[in-house]
Amino acid sequence: MTRKYMLAGTSMLALVGVSAPAIAQERVAPVEIFTTTESYDPIRYEGAFIIAEAWRELGLDVSVRPMEFSTLLDRFYSEQDFDATILGWSGRVDRLDPQFFLGTLDSRQAELGANNPGGYDNPDYDALYDAQGAEFDIEARRDLVHEMQDVYMGDVPVVVLFHRDEVVAYNNTQFTNMNAMAGEGLYSEWVPMEAEPVGDRTTLRIGGPQEPDNINPLASTSVWGWKWMRMYYDRLVRLSPDVEPVPWAAERVDPVDDVTIEVTLREGMTFHDGEPLTAEDIAFTFNYYMDSEYSYFNSYLAPIESVEVTGDRTVRFNLSEPSAPFATITLSQIPILPAHIWSEIDNPQDLTPEQIPTVGSGPFAFERYDRGEFMSLTTNRDHFHADEISVDGVEFQIFADAEGVFTALQTGEIDMTAWRMEPGQIPLAEGNDDLTVVSVPDFGYFHMTYNLRREPFDDRAVRRALTMAMDRERMVNVLLDGRGEVGTTVVAPVNAYWHNPFVERFEYDMDAARAELEEAGYSWDSEGHLQR
Amino acid sequence: MTRRTYLIKRVIQAIFSLWIIATILFFLFRMGLPDPTAALITEGLNAEQRAAVRAQFGLEDPLWRQYVLFLTNAVQGEFGTSFSYRAPVSEIVWERLGNTMILMLAAIVLAYGIGVPLGAWLSWRRGSRTDTVGIFVGLMFRSAPMFWTGMIAILVFGVGLSIFPTSGMRTLPYDADGFLDKIFTLDFLWHAILPVLIVALYYLGSPLLIMRNTMLEVYGEDFIEMARAKGLQERDILYKHAARNALLPVVTQLAVTIGLAAGGQVVVEVVFSWPGLGREILNAVRTSDFPLAQASFLIMAAFVITLNLLVDILYTTLDPRVSFR
Repeated sequence: MTRKYMLAGTSMLALVGVSAPAIAQERVAPVEIFTTTESYDPIRYEGAFIIAEAWRELGLDVSVRPMEFSTLLDRFYSEQDFDATILGWSGRVDRLDPQFFLGTLDSRQAELGANNPGGYDNPDYDALYDAQGAEFDIEARRDLVHEMQDVYMGDVPVVVLFHRDEVVAYNNTQFTNMNAMAGEGLYSEWVPMEAEPVGDRTTLRIGGPQEPDNINPLASTSVWGWKWMRMYYDRLVRLSPDVEPVPWAAERVDPVDDVTIEVTLREGMTFHDGEPLTAEDIAFTFNYYMDSEYSYFNSYLAPIESVEVTGDRTVRFNLSEPSAPFATITLSQIPILPAHIWSEIDNPQDLTPEQIPTVGSGPFAFERYDRGEFMSLTTNRDHFHADEISVDGVEFQIFADAEGVFTALQTGEIDMTAWRMEPGQIPLAEGNDDLTVVSVPDFGYFHMTYNLRREPFDDRAVRRALTMAMDRERMVNVLLDGRGEVGTTVVAPVNAYWHNPFVERFEYDMDAARAELEEAGYSWDSEGHLQR
Repeated sequence: MTRRTYLIKRVIQAIFSLWIIATILFFLFRMGLPDPTAALITEGLNAEQRAAVRAQFGLEDPLWRQYVLFLTNAVQGEFGTSFSYRAPVSEIVWERLGNTMILMLAAIVLAYGIGVPLGAWLSWRRGSRTDTVGIFVGLMFRSAPMFWTGMIAILVFGVGLSIFPTSGMRTLPYDADGFLDKIFTLDFLWHAILPVLIVALYYLGSPLLIMRNTMLEVYGEDFIEMARAKGLQERDILYKHAARNALLPVVTQLAVTIGLAAGGQVVVEVVFSWPGLGREILNAVRTSDFPLAQASFLIMAAFVITLNLLVDILYTTLDPRVSFR
């Protein structure tokens, strides 16, 4: 539609509005955008104001409400008491399988506290979700996943604002062969296994401001707890640096039928205390997690009906429904615990730090953890993968803030950063010959979620118009300093196999946004307020 | 009133103040901080799972029962389990408090050790250029933000000249049998120099200025004239007669400073990654870790109140003019 016609249309509508009070329209109710406080995350904070400004231009009465982070999570997930909220999902490696992010739009995850707080409800989408979860043929599954992205995009229940690049650095005079992994950056489980020392020191030193909440495998609820623990606990499957499932403690994973999977263990594995790792340990671990109050792995364990030992080295998983991502997600996440230690523990959540067993079977063995200061692991020379590992151990120094980490990197006290650098540090690191800066695209994303239960967000046309009114290009250029990418679907472009590049895109276009609203019967009053 | 009843009265007052503070802390945190389960679980728990987590930490009980339990435990020095660390709070607090106090006490001793005689000396040379420069330097460090002076110190002496370490209190990892073993090493001293200096420079201003100003008042007193008339040396008048009398306000200031030191200088602890109580409190509030935050603040309050009590008692001996009213 040209501008002329649009203007004509608007004035016609205005005339109708004046001459026929019977169909007088009402102003659209004011809306609030929830976001984080500036100190917690200036990017999301500023982003909210950029969006609010454009929405006001469209005639909406908008206010921005920054909120303390935990309160924000509470309002969003537990109470679903919001109009529109800016939050983010971190790109953890187990989320590379599309199952997780697609599930955030499943209507059956719309109850309080679950992952679809916006309340998107589309039976077609749900049916496709079930179909892809049960589809073992990878190409057929990909088609379904692509279709899902196509289906939901037109309805825009959620807007993927942008993906922020993870920019980290390491000291190239100490180590080489440091390969960053999508979504994980340098601090992946593979870097300690692949790093090659080039200096005198053979212990890899990592530094970061984050520390595990605790190292109890039945109580830790943070990514930082698990990033550390996964190095000394093995899993049946590990996801390779290219994010493909590779058999790990499992020698083979064989589907018996749609709902039965048999896992054969590697021969000769032992725990760090010398006890053999057997099929009993596997069955015990999964049952122990399923029986415990620990909810962190619940979504991974949900498809399992029972786990039984079928031989010295074989375990059978009986599923309640077919689950295509079972091997990628579930088998690659659950840490194998030694039954001979944990079977004696009745209330694992209540263990004090001194009581927590730290015996795993992983390529590294737990050495120490001094809260607030230091953690270390030594290489487990009895591990089947040990010959591939060049470092003798891993150390992690805990700093109070990102500034301390960067100083330590500059002085050579640490070899790599565990967490993204601050924008101001990046050029400094790039100018330092001893440091190599690595940038990886993130498949996690920052999103604006609309509450579809509320006006005006229950109207598809409004959501579409408001999405067109978001200058996401500007957000990436200004807020991320160009280190990122404008979002499209919840499955990020870097996740190339599953990402559908041919979905409807919502470019920044205020005229198109107005046209969309007009077409849906909205108009503007004399003061420019949007009304319907 | 006898001295004995005065003391009893002061002790009762102190306990009463502590109780008030404990009560305020308890309710303030519950009203002001978000539900800790929100901070515990980032993944979105369903209602049933949340209730389980809340029950596990006793948050489902009625508020009054939580309050009674909190008070009875606190009296016994028991502060419960930290939500995020799942470890006894007292253990965390005492360890962190030790780390903070060693840093702060060293800085305070340095600041007062230099500040008091320097203040006295400046008052003696009042109006001179030395006096002006001394006041200026004291005020400058008092007003410069510590994160700024700290960062400059790190950049110059840590990154640039590589003389001092830039973070932590020991070269990691270290093994120590107890607190004394942790701090009586050259390595600790090496790590402590920069943060102690930064805090000391910040604190220096108070004793310096208070001392200088009270000294000026004391100079006008009759007994100074008397001493002069007796033909005593200026140096003796200054340090033996005047300074002793000017010390009282400095002692009060010192007690308050030591009391507040328990909370640490959060900024310095963050800038130097010093594992102290201040940094811990910041995290506790951020994660709604009620037990840890409550206990930390309560212990800080106990410090301030106890030290004030001690000062009052000390005054009864130091200053004969204090009467027991």
